[in-house]
Amino acid sequence: MSPKQEAGPKTSPANEDLFFGLFLLGMAILVFASTRKLLIGTSSNMGAGYFPQAIAWGMIFFGVFFVAKSQVRPSEKVYAPYWRGLFLIILAVAVFSLLLMKAGLVLAAFLAMLIASAASKETRPVEIVVYSALMSAASALLFVRALSMPMPIFPW
Amino acid sequence: MELFSNLMLGFSTALEWHNLLYCLFGALIGTLIGVLPGIGPVPTVALLLPFTFGMAPASAFIMLAGIFYGAQYGGSTTAILVNIPGETSAVVTCLDGHQMARNGRAGTALAIAAMASFFAGTVATTVIAMLSGPLSRLAMSFTAVEFFSLMVLGLVAAVIMAHGSIVKSLAMIGIGLLIGVVGIDVNTGVARMTFNIPEFADGLSFVSVAMGFFGLAEIINNLEKPSHQIVVSQKMKNLLPTWQDLKTAFPAMLRGTAIGSILGVLPGGGAALPPFTAYAIEKKLARDPSRFGKGAIEGVASPEAANNAGAQTSFIPLLTLGIPSNAIMALMIGALMIQGIQPGPQIIVEQPELVWGVIASMWVGNLMLLVINLPLIGIWVSMLKVPYRLLFPAIMLFCCIGAYGVNNSVMDIWLMLGCAVVGYFFIKVKVETAPLLLGLILGPQLEENLRRAMLLSDGDFSVFVTRPISAVLLGSVAVILLVMLSPAVLKKRDEIVESEG
Repeated sequence: MSPKQEAGPKTSPANEDLFFGLFLLGMAILVFASTRKLLIGTSSNMGAGYFPQAIAWGMIFFGVFFVAKSQVRPSEKVYAPYWRGLFLIILAVAVFSLLLMKAGLVLAAFLAMLIASAASKETRPVEIVVYSALMSAASALLFVRALSMPMPIFPW
Repeated sequence: MELFSNLMLGFSTALEWHNLLYCLFGALIGTLIGVLPGIGPVPTVALLLPFTFGMAPASAFIMLAGIFYGAQYGGSTTAILVNIPGETSAVVTCLDGHQMARNGRAGTALAIAAMASFFAGTVATTVIAMLSGPLSRLAMSFTAVEFFSLMVLGLVAAVIMAHGSIVKSLAMIGIGLLIGVVGIDVNTGVARMTFNIPEFADGLSFVSVAMGFFGLAEIINNLEKPSHQIVVSQKMKNLLPTWQDLKTAFPAMLRGTAIGSILGVLPGGGAALPPFTAYAIEKKLARDPSRFGKGAIEGVASPEAANNAGAQTSFIPLLTLGIPSNAIMALMIGALMIQGIQPGPQIIVEQPELVWGVIASMWVGNLMLLVINLPLIGIWVSMLKVPYRLLFPAIMLFCCIGAYGVNNSVMDIWLMLGCAVVGYFFIKVKVETAPLLLGLILGPQLEENLRRAMLLSDGDFSVFVTRPISAVLLGSVAVILLVMLSPAVLKKRDEIVESEG
């Protein structure tokens, strides 16, 4: 079906149902791959692989259903993700996880907040630097000092 | 007077000074996040879960419950004052509540909403107290067969009020079940789907999963939307409603409470369905329906009562059967499991202080909300002015710290990140995530009960329909699915969900 034949967002074949269906199929494949060595067993004496694989068959059913549905009756088009937000939030959390144990909470939190705030177009530079510094100091006091969570505060 | 002595036990637990403090803390935090748009009770409860580790089970539960009903309360405050429903359940309150505020009766609307909530909370507490005993006694006679069927019913029924397609929600439950069984299989001791990551052997941390799906993914999604400027011009005066107001509002409160209590108990009930139903009924009953949408006081009183009653009675399936009826209740089960308490009908016998203490604390908490929050309205309104550009980096940070905090494991932060990316994908393809969380929590139990039932019946699946209670439960599942998938109901449901969004 060519997108030119019917106008409007509903005509694109790259639609919500297709993506979701493919996701489910991918998930099912992942389950089968990771449980292939497990014992299935019988229904009266189920092995470790029985339940996950039974659900995975269900995923295949739903996946095929949605892929088929998307071809018969296209659902709404998926709009492009907000790449900047997605990328920067991922980066911020990744930086936090990488730095936490090595550089301590204060530095990790400060950098993560700075990176994350760049994801919003409304962020004001000076405000966010001061705010991030305050928040990272406060979270060190609250979580490590007061609630004694086991993590370093400073790199040294 | 078993009921009376149970309630006494509950109040003696709830009124211990440290539990009072936790209750207050929970209610205040709940109100705060209810007021703040962009952060809901689910990530908040998830965030606080790690810190309930060292608390007594009753205290932990009292605080988390406080967050839940506090959030309902805060949500209606913003609905009335600035026409922004802080939570989904407050959408209906916007209709007449905000109109009242624009007519200069903001104070009255807030007071009526608070009174309706408190009244409903009182009644709902009694309903919980009366139903919990008999229901859990009934459930005590359940075997693995009945529990399996009950869980299937709970999962399917919870799909009803999820937004979007039912088939999608069913698929999401499946994904949740799969994520739920990751880890060492208790029966055979082999690791399943852990991808050789040792941290996953004990199962995936549901705090990380919940915060990824509900906290971080929401942030990424919210960043895309332009933030709206919030203007609050209302001056608070005349908090006390007139005699005439009370006389109009009281019957509506009664009806709302009844509707909320009934709908809340049903599996799949929760916060969204009762207020909509209550509002629709008020409009039908009114002599002059045209007043609705223009500041009718019944249009505030009834949905608010229904909302609060429903929120509280949705604890019944959780406390008596161990079945969560919505995402928040799923996290509550998580809180119990963190404490080493296996949810199910036995907790009411084994942990009476916990169950009755939580029930009594709901009443205490509602009283606190009523007494403390009306004078504090000014503070909550000023909270609304905190811009999202400052909120979201802090929420992100707290999510990271919270994910780490459960097992003190950096791996859990990476897991949260992965879930956030998948969660953002789900938002993009417009799939509701809440059913996944229910599946995640119930997955291990569902499998365990299925295995046990099959072992007993020697692999004969017909046992699920030959045992009467199980047959009734599964019959309800079939009826729900048939009704929900019928075209007429689908259309009606779309209308409700549309008007919500």
